[in-house]
Amino acid sequence: MNKVLNINLGGMPFTIDEDAYDHLRTYLKTIHKHFSSSEGYEEITADIEARMAELFQEKLGNRPIVTLADVKHVIAIMGTPEDFGAESIGEDAPKSDSGKRWEFKTGKRLFRNPDDSVVGGVCSGIAAYFGIQDPVWVRLAFILLTVSGGFGIPLYLILWAVLPEAKTASDRLAMRGEPANVSNIGRIIEEELSYMSKKMGELGEELKAEFSKKKK
Amino acid sequence: MKVQELIDNTGQQMRKGILELCILAIISDEKEAYPSDIIKRLEAAEMIVVQGTLYPLLARLKSAGLLDYTWKESDAGPPRKYYSLTKDGEEFLNGLMSNWQKLVEAVNQSTRSLTANNKEVK
Repeated sequence: MNKVLNINLGGMPFTIDEDAYDHLRTYLKTIHKHFSSSEGYEEITADIEARMAELFQEKLGNRPIVTLADVKHVIAIMGTPEDFGAESIGEDAPKSDSGKRWEFKTGKRLFRNPDDSVVGGVCSGIAAYFGIQDPVWVRLAFILLTVSGGFGIPLYLILWAVLPEAKTASDRLAMRGEPANVSNIGRIIEEELSYMSKKMGELGEELKAEFSKKKK
Repeated sequence: MKVQELIDNTGQQMRKGILELCILAIISDEKEAYPSDIIKRLEAAEMIVVQGTLYPLLARLKSAGLLDYTWKESDAGPPRKYYSLTKDGEEFLNGLMSNWQKLVEAVNQSTRSLTANNKEVK
């Protein structure tokens, strides 16, 4: 079961799944932000919305509801602002500048990385924070600290206790310092989905175990 | 693999440079062009990769006074924008076209040895 919403896209009505709506809204927001300082801003965004409405109509045929797959399909056809942003439109330079500042502000956050951990994921979290490709260098540094003065282990334990674990996809993006933009959303959703399906799989196993117990 | 990537990138840059010319030529050909139809023709000619590329370009040409549009009712949905060339736009297109022809000649001249060799091989 999925909640649906009714929207007006480019003057056409659509019924859309909630997750598909969120994805579409984020995409359109990125488009609006990208063109907000360009001349003809409203026309560009209105035209793009109208075109997306057409593409949805073509894709849907007789189906009544826009799904996440439809939204992804149409976004792939339209492209991300990064794809067509290279078409310089007027004051492109100062805009990209402010974009960088924004990225810097929201920047990276220090997390423990549970996906690539030996003990607590502290080292690989630090490596992600400083953009070090291989966390093994950070681990080596900790080992050196431990051997040379015994300072490494208490420091590690403190960091382990203090740093939060990167639990969600957006945490993981923040850890790597990637802004949550359209080009990343696909990946975020995929990561979330694989996480969810893992969880569901575990749940299924548990239920199966319960069930077979009851049978006996 | 690496060379193929370079070819693709450079090819994309080449197309980008003449995209404006192609859009204007299509609009001139159709007299009044609906953006989705422009997209169809551009895609058939493999001139654009993502459709979103067209709209900022149209807006820029419009604000430069080279294009204009009128609204027309449609049977299938909300009113549609139809783009046409202005007087300046026609002049601009003619200028671009003669530039393009010069460029073709120049490129042919520079690459003559290559094309001649190719023919011999064939």
